[in-house]
Amino acid sequence: MQAIHIENLSKRYTSGKLALNKAGLSLGEGEVFGFLGPNGAGKTTTIKLLGGTLLPTEGKCEVFGLNPFEKPEEIHRISGLLTEHAQMYNPLSGYENLIFYGRLFDLSASDSKTRAVELLDLLGLNESKDRKLGAYSTGMRQRLSLARTMIHRPRLLFLDEPTSGLDPENALSVNEIIKEQAKENGTTVFLCTHQLRYAQDVCSSFGLIDDGTLFATGTLEKLRELVQEDVSVMIEASQIPDRIQAERIGERTFDVRVKEEEDIAEIVKQIVSDGGKVYQVSTKILTLEEIYFALLKKHQRGELLL
Amino acid sequence: MIHSMQWAIIKKDLKVISSDKLILSSLFIVPAFLAGILPAIMLLAFTSSSDAMHDMQALINILPGAAQADNISVFMVSYLINFMMPSFFLMIPLLVSMVFAASSFVGEKEKRTLETLLYCPLPLVKIFQAKILASFFLGMAAAVVSFIVMFLVVGIISTITLGTTILPGLSWLVIMLMLTPAIAIIAITLVVRSSAKAQSVEEAQNRSVILIIPLIAILIAQFSGVISLNIWILLGAGVVFAVIAFVLLSGALSKFTYEKLLK
Repeated sequence: MQAIHIENLSKRYTSGKLALNKAGLSLGEGEVFGFLGPNGAGKTTTIKLLGGTLLPTEGKCEVFGLNPFEKPEEIHRISGLLTEHAQMYNPLSGYENLIFYGRLFDLSASDSKTRAVELLDLLGLNESKDRKLGAYSTGMRQRLSLARTMIHRPRLLFLDEPTSGLDPENALSVNEIIKEQAKENGTTVFLCTHQLRYAQDVCSSFGLIDDGTLFATGTLEKLRELVQEDVSVMIEASQIPDRIQAERIGERTFDVRVKEEEDIAEIVKQIVSDGGKVYQVSTKILTLEEIYFALLKKHQRGELLL
Repeated sequence: MIHSMQWAIIKKDLKVISSDKLILSSLFIVPAFLAGILPAIMLLAFTSSSDAMHDMQALINILPGAAQADNISVFMVSYLINFMMPSFFLMIPLLVSMVFAASSFVGEKEKRTLETLLYCPLPLVKIFQAKILASFFLGMAAAVVSFIVMFLVVGIISTITLGTTILPGLSWLVIMLMLTPAIAIIAITLVVRSSAKAQSVEEAQNRSVILIIPLIAILIAQFSGVISLNIWILLGAGVVFAVIAFVLLSGALSKFTYEKLLK
């Protein structure tokens, strides 16, 4: 079953700003989708449309077959939302907050308590569970918010910048938890972020958005293909046979272009069979960050058509 | 029927408010003054000084039944409590509900907890019903406690100073069962209606404080002898207020959308 399906979705605010422009997207269940773009690109608007808290100007979308604009509360029942503006109650402790949200999501009193303890433990907040939220640090608040989104064991998580304001250690642990949720519980994750390094590590597919336009979607490999068709391989060898097209870039360093990574083994075999010595082989694969900026440039030049 | 998810919101609202000392003190001071201190001062002034009774002669002359009263002091105290105090007393459910509702609705927006609360499996109307009920319960609880305190104070002082225990008249039945709930609901609804626009608790309170004006007008009218709040006027007012409360409430609930609230 498709977790999310968006067709021709647009949102223009009353101020006249076109926050989302004819977006289209499909996500399978269990996917961790990285929605990447700068602040103000339309990521949060998309999440709000999917959660039914905003109405679209045109287009349609479905979340697990449900229409968010007709019965938003049904989407809320099966999903969790974490955004910068979705805070919890400062006068209550972390534990009390989670129990309240458990009850709010129709869990029984005892189930809410059990689940709250489980999540506090998972997020390393057990020791501060009885401390008032007002005394929590930014990192602890963010982790508690993540626990809140998971309190009712949702099928889908909408996470808007979950690592924003976190130190590297906290960010890493939050990312590990997100990955774990998807892997162990099959939870679909819709992750909005501009932290591309974390996204590459966590997500299985991506959507790139700028100024309301979703200009590229797909797996990392698919996006990479949109930027470069071949893989650049650096080979340090005593010599390279003439039949292999290579560019010498150092005394014994060559840049060889291959269609796919599997071709590298054949090239190494040919060098060795011709009596050459291979000292080092490394592939230069574009990171998500490099792909993102390259595709953004292409989009801005009008060279990308989704 | 209140759903368990709505009960969770009601309990949470009461818990969060009870931890706010500033709001708690304002919720305590007004009822304590209007239901405890004010009637005590009035009673003591009436019963301890013959000058006070003399000064009130003009009012006594126009009151129906005053001429036939055996004991003019008992009659005046009884009149004061049953016909003058209601206007003061009704400010209690009005102010308590208003302060609580402002904090409960606009406070959520101000503290950025509204988005989290609205993202739950309850339809918007049910969330609002729960929050209105929380404010209503508190307003009614404050009214009931104030009523008990007021008549303990009046009973004790009248027994000591007049030798007779003055009890609440039939008009208080109408006040407690009709006027108090209706006024509480009107106050809450006006706060709720302004909550989509108001960005701070203070702004919501300022927008709703206008409600006190009709009560002050009734007070002035009574003291100047223009009207006298008898049980029939109270009953009529109760019906009118109940209808206004119902219309306002239904209108307010149907107008809300997530987009308007989270703006």
